[in-house]
Amino acid sequence: MVRAEVAVVGAGLAGLTAAIRLAESGARVQVLATGHAATHWAPGGIDVGAVPGAPTSHAAVDELARLPGHPYAFLAAELPAALDWLRAALAAEGLDLVGDLGDPLRAIPTSIGATRPAAILPDGMAAALAPWAPDEILVVCGLAGFRDFWPEAIAEGLRRPATWRGQQPPARIESISIELPGLAGRHNLSSLDLARLFDDPAWRETAFDAISRALDVRSPGRAGGAGSVRGRLALPAVLGLHDHPAVLAAARERLPLAPFEVALVPPSIPGLRLFAALRAILRRHGGRLQVGEAVHGTIGPGGRVSELRAPAAARELVVSAGAVILATGGIAGGGLIADGPGLLREAVLGLPVDGPPAEHWLLNDPFDPAGHPLETAGLRTDSRLRPVAPGAPDRPLAENVRIAGSLLAGQRYLREHCGDGVALASAAVAARELCR
Amino acid sequence: MTIAEIVAQAAAPESFASIGLSADECLKCNVCTTVCPVARVTDLFPGPKYVGPQSQRFRLGSELAPGSGVLSVVQSPDRSVDYCSGCGFCSTACPADVKIAEMNNRARAALRAGHRPRLRDWLLGQTDLTGSLGVLAAPLANWSLHNRFVRALIDLVVRIDRRAPLPRFSGRTLRSRLGGYRRSRWSADAPPADRTVVYFHGCAANYYEPHVGQAAIDVLERNGFRVIVPPQVCCGLPLISNGLYGQARGRARSNLAVLADYARAGYQIVGTSTSCTHTLKAEYREMLDIDDEDARLVSEATWDICEFLLDLHEQGRLDTHFGELDRTLPYHAPCQLRSHGIGLPALDLFELVPGLRAVDMDHDCCGIAGTYGLKSEKYDIAMAVGEPLFEQIRSSGEDQVACDSETCRWQIAAATGTRLRHPVEFLAEAYEAYES
Repeated sequence: MVRAEVAVVGAGLAGLTAAIRLAESGARVQVLATGHAATHWAPGGIDVGAVPGAPTSHAAVDELARLPGHPYAFLAAELPAALDWLRAALAAEGLDLVGDLGDPLRAIPTSIGATRPAAILPDGMAAALAPWAPDEILVVCGLAGFRDFWPEAIAEGLRRPATWRGQQPPARIESISIELPGLAGRHNLSSLDLARLFDDPAWRETAFDAISRALDVRSPGRAGGAGSVRGRLALPAVLGLHDHPAVLAAARERLPLAPFEVALVPPSIPGLRLFAALRAILRRHGGRLQVGEAVHGTIGPGGRVSELRAPAAARELVVSAGAVILATGGIAGGGLIADGPGLLREAVLGLPVDGPPAEHWLLNDPFDPAGHPLETAGLRTDSRLRPVAPGAPDRPLAENVRIAGSLLAGQRYLREHCGDGVALASAAVAARELCR
Repeated sequence: MTIAEIVAQAAAPESFASIGLSADECLKCNVCTTVCPVARVTDLFPGPKYVGPQSQRFRLGSELAPGSGVLSVVQSPDRSVDYCSGCGFCSTACPADVKIAEMNNRARAALRAGHRPRLRDWLLGQTDLTGSLGVLAAPLANWSLHNRFVRALIDLVVRIDRRAPLPRFSGRTLRSRLGGYRRSRWSADAPPADRTVVYFHGCAANYYEPHVGQAAIDVLERNGFRVIVPPQVCCGLPLISNGLYGQARGRARSNLAVLADYARAGYQIVGTSTSCTHTLKAEYREMLDIDDEDARLVSEATWDICEFLLDLHEQGRLDTHFGELDRTLPYHAPCQLRSHGIGLPALDLFELVPGLRAVDMDHDCCGIAGTYGLKSEKYDIAMAVGEPLFEQIRSSGEDQVACDSETCRWQIAAATGTRLRHPVEFLAEAYEAYES
């Protein structure tokens, strides 16, 4: 048996930050997760909101908060403090976040040659946030043997003016592919292989030299000396795993163009850095993390959950808990399970899900800009994040349970780019509730 | 068999629970690769996804159409799966519950099926044979197995690395040290099952570390238990991990024949080797396909010693009169312990001992992974996997380290020059400290 004052189910941004806040306040916290997903799949920035027409995250959040049933309707006010808290916590681990709620949303290049709107990014991606000057060039730099980042295809996509969402594009977009030292003939490099290589100080010196030399040869106009061409360098997000701040500093010092990382398909190196930092903070405050099995529990008499259970090699593991935070994610994260059209269930406690009726599951145009009704499916809560049945907002179903993150109904976290903001704000509320 | 029939069969929900077909749940997200200790240090192993779910398409024939002869492709595309150490982290990290490690273990066995086993792999599986011979001629055996010339010869001929950490044989087996009454299969006056436990010592405590077995027996007796040590053979894990499933089934049958009677009568089976207890709990069923009543009963009755003692504590039955042990104690949780899914019970028990400050080293794997790190072609990989752990222990300045698994203890002791002890030895010492 494992004893905890608070059991947190889910190890994404919501679960980990809620757990850290509780552990900081002295609670005995046990985090339980089926596996790793949210952080390991995410691009690594902090998306708090982006909707068409809203110039800043702040404006987007305001707009989302006015949508009926959106979690921001009662969480938006928490967001600035929650973001500041995360910024301070990550900075102490050497990971800086650049950008704020009031900063303009910018078109950030992606690894398929599109752009996505963002305003708050890790330091390593931040050089992409500044507006492009009319004479500035962008060089997309691929690494030979690495097949998750095709520089010419990316450049081709970025050369289309529509890609830039009405913002000023770079004056010219070039692509280049570079053989890195010791990797000739390798054709199956992963982002992890490269990130670990960059962690090695000696190797990265030679790698940055190779990139610099290639840029000198390739960039016409650079003959006039350093600084004659203004530009930035898009690199795959592999600039170090454990030693990222040092790799980034070296890249800035050694490369002739301002480098920025472009998020890749999973596993996300920036996401792994974020996870490692949060995990380290949690452990330092005495919180524990167990990954591997899907937990389940039941609401007992008095509307309380007193224990969770997880499959184990012989007997179920019993986690006795004074309170529970569910931060298990939506359908993608495994917090919601779809058994067929109209059949959605919540994975841990079997709480009632607010989702579309069966007849709305298969009718929609998959490319309908309004999205699919399933996107907003999730759990309804009261303002204290206790779960309620849809349509019965005043009767919490479990007194000592709080819901956080993408499991909350009413958000379209991919379309509205609000998942990280909802996670941070709801985690702050859930932790404060249970500290009482 | 038609494709439609194959699909219908494969789509049966229960078949996805099977190890081989769980590959169908794989999203190719590579989260498994991010936690793989072997892929972290060598290019020879491309990572759990590539050799597991990704290669599984080449091996599925027999599972999709059993006995039909159709789709008879059952081989791995290459031999790289042999570099999997079997630590199991991939399976715990997978967000989609793919049985990656189990899949890879079977694929390794399939590579060897139909071939005569290598002398080395056969030898590493015969722990009872080597153990009894070694104890019989302990001075000679210990001299020769730690003699540079002999080891170089063994390295050349057998391919067990000359630098690999081999344990020292004890002068007497644990069984021979115990009084006859404990060894008897059934005692006529056996007290009731809640006052008697069955002790599974495994090979390590019997042939190499009788003091670990003695400490466990002392601690159990201190808590009022009668300890029975029935006839037993090697649990079979070294055979499983060397691909010798047939022999392993023989060992499993021998153990089950004895242990199932105890389990049926309500006795609990407690072990000090966390890999043996995991084998009794899970591997007979999962890896050897022995899924009868005996295997189920034994699985449900088996406990790792720290798990058992912590459960005793939860029931308020553990004698907590521990004397003071004033020391900081680095603790390494073995991979096999994590596969139990029981948390880290040793750390909870250490909290009960006054003055003992246990520090979780929080490192994935020491590298040895049973017999993996003994092999000449894998020794360097194993050492690289464990190096961050070794460095942490060296720089801690502590002279004693706790770890639940014997092969990990031998590996870490050899690499760090510290004294490695089973957690139960510290508990036994704390009871002694209370008496004095």
